[in-house]
Amino acid sequence: MEQEFDFTYVLQFIPKILSTLGTTLTIVGGSLVLGLAAGLLAALPRLYKIPFLRRVSQVYVSFFRGTPILIQLFLLYYGLPELLKQADIDLSKTPVLVFVILTYGLHVSAYVSEMIRASVESVDRGQVEAAYSVGMNGVQAFTRIVLPQALAIAVPVFANLLLALLKDTSLAFTLGVMEMTGKASSLTTLTQHFVEAYLSLALIYLAVCLVLERLLRVLERRLLRHEARPVPAKSFESWRTKWLPFGLPQAFKLRSKGGDA
Amino acid sequence: MIRLQGIEKSFGRHPMLKGIDLEIGTGEVVVILGPSGSGKTTLLRCLNFLEKPNAGRIRVGDYEVDCRTAGKKEIQQLRLRTAMVFQQYNLFRHKTALENVMEGLLVVRKLPKREAREQSVQLLEKVGLGGKLDAYPSQLSGGQQQRVGIARALALNPEVILFDEPTSALDPELVGEVLSVIRKIAKEGITMIVVTHEMGFAQDVANHVVFMDEGKVVEEGHPNRLFSSPKEERTRQFLKRITPDGVYSI
Ligand SMILES: Nc1ncnc2c1ncn2[C@@H]1O[C@H](COP(=O)(O)OP(=O)(O)OP(=O)(O)O)[C@@H](O)[C@H]1O
Ligand SMILES: [Mg+2]
Repeated sequence: MEQEFDFTYVLQFIPKILSTLGTTLTIVGGSLVLGLAAGLLAALPRLYKIPFLRRVSQVYVSFFRGTPILIQLFLLYYGLPELLKQADIDLSKTPVLVFVILTYGLHVSAYVSEMIRASVESVDRGQVEAAYSVGMNGVQAFTRIVLPQALAIAVPVFANLLLALLKDTSLAFTLGVMEMTGKASSLTTLTQHFVEAYLSLALIYLAVCLVLERLLRVLERRLLRHEARPVPAKSFESWRTKWLPFGLPQAFKLRSKGGDA
Repeated sequence: MIRLQGIEKSFGRHPMLKGIDLEIGTGEVVVILGPSGSGKTTLLRCLNFLEKPNAGRIRVGDYEVDCRTAGKKEIQQLRLRTAMVFQQYNLFRHKTALENVMEGLLVVRKLPKREAREQSVQLLEKVGLGGKLDAYPSQLSGGQQQRVGIARALALNPEVILFDEPTSALDPELVGEVLSVIRKIAKEGITMIVVTHEMGFAQDVANHVVFMDEGKVVEEGHPNRLFSSPKEERTRQFLKRITPDGVYSI
């Protein structure tokens, strides 16, 4: 039976769900590291136009961008152990979390690879030529001139990607992982207070998203400080001061340092 | 001294440079003229291997390469002896004026930071930007950016500076400040090759004018001679077309 709405449950549920925040963040962090590494690897053949590998990378990216993450989860969780059994590798004792991180990592890597390719390609060709003309070699030109500019361009894309990843991790509970959504779901079975549980869950996701958004905006302003008109960091600030009377912890207060002008 | 012998370059099957020979003495200011698409930019870019020539020899100072066989090392050696000022400035966008000038000194010449800084400040003062050391390119006018570009080129103390239409992206009122900086360093005896349509500049700064058309040097010589009595019909026609409204003098 569904119970009547009772806000005190929300207050009760929030700390309970928060106790699994660590698991959610582990999935996010783990898959992000894997995704960045694999994404860079997948971007290289396309950046350097390596004939065959470039095709492979394209197919890889299309697959992970073109199929639902839920299906990718199932394919890897059920399919990979089957596949590796042929090679006498036993994955039956591997924790579910490993499969989850692997799936999300590969999923994210497809988007990371596109992000890297697009942002590197959007750095003006003249920048590299200028670097060569002063005598830099390829590696110096890339690391000192192209990369810092590409990073700045990539941050907004990366922000979207990170927030999408955070929310996508809510699907991991379908494999029985006790992250935040899993926890909320178990609370509903326990108490029958569906709305309170999912409302608490939504509030927590929202809060985490806001914090991440904030941090990324600081990073973006930092990396784009050379542009005459830096991206406005105001929108959230004004929203916060208007609607959040308590403000955020000191750590996330924006300090616009002298150089940011 | 700079010597080009039989430089050839094609894009795909389309020949762009069809055997360019050129000799330039130390301290000379050479202006290259020619209609659009005649290969002026391509020739400059071949000199520092931003385009790889298909054939020919390039000598800059005491260093000579065969373009056919030049590898990374040879190209690097050429680039250490040349510097380029670009039509679109191409300043490093994420670096300040000072950092732009210092970059080559630090990364390529491996100078200690203090020394690189000192030299760079001096050069920026010389081009009249002593007050803009910490400005990013996006905060500078086109003329100021181009002067930073010139300081960046000077910093490398190259055998030759290559200018590709250094003023043609500028608003007319900013052309003068850039030309007068180029004039000033020309007087200091720095060898330069300048592609430009500024005839006034060519007339009173150049000691050597080269007229190119369709990937070849059509005619070359002292500006006084070349402008007053061109030998070739193509040169004459080009000059007629460009002089009436193309004259610029400061
Ligand atoms: N990388 C390239 N690939 C193919 N074609 C090219 C390339 N670079 C230049 N070209 C061709 O070379 C020709 C231009 O040559 P170039 O830029 O050397 O002429 P220019 O004399 O500098 O002309 P302008 O006065 O317009 O600057 C153009 O027809 C252009 O299409
Ligand atoms: Mg040109």
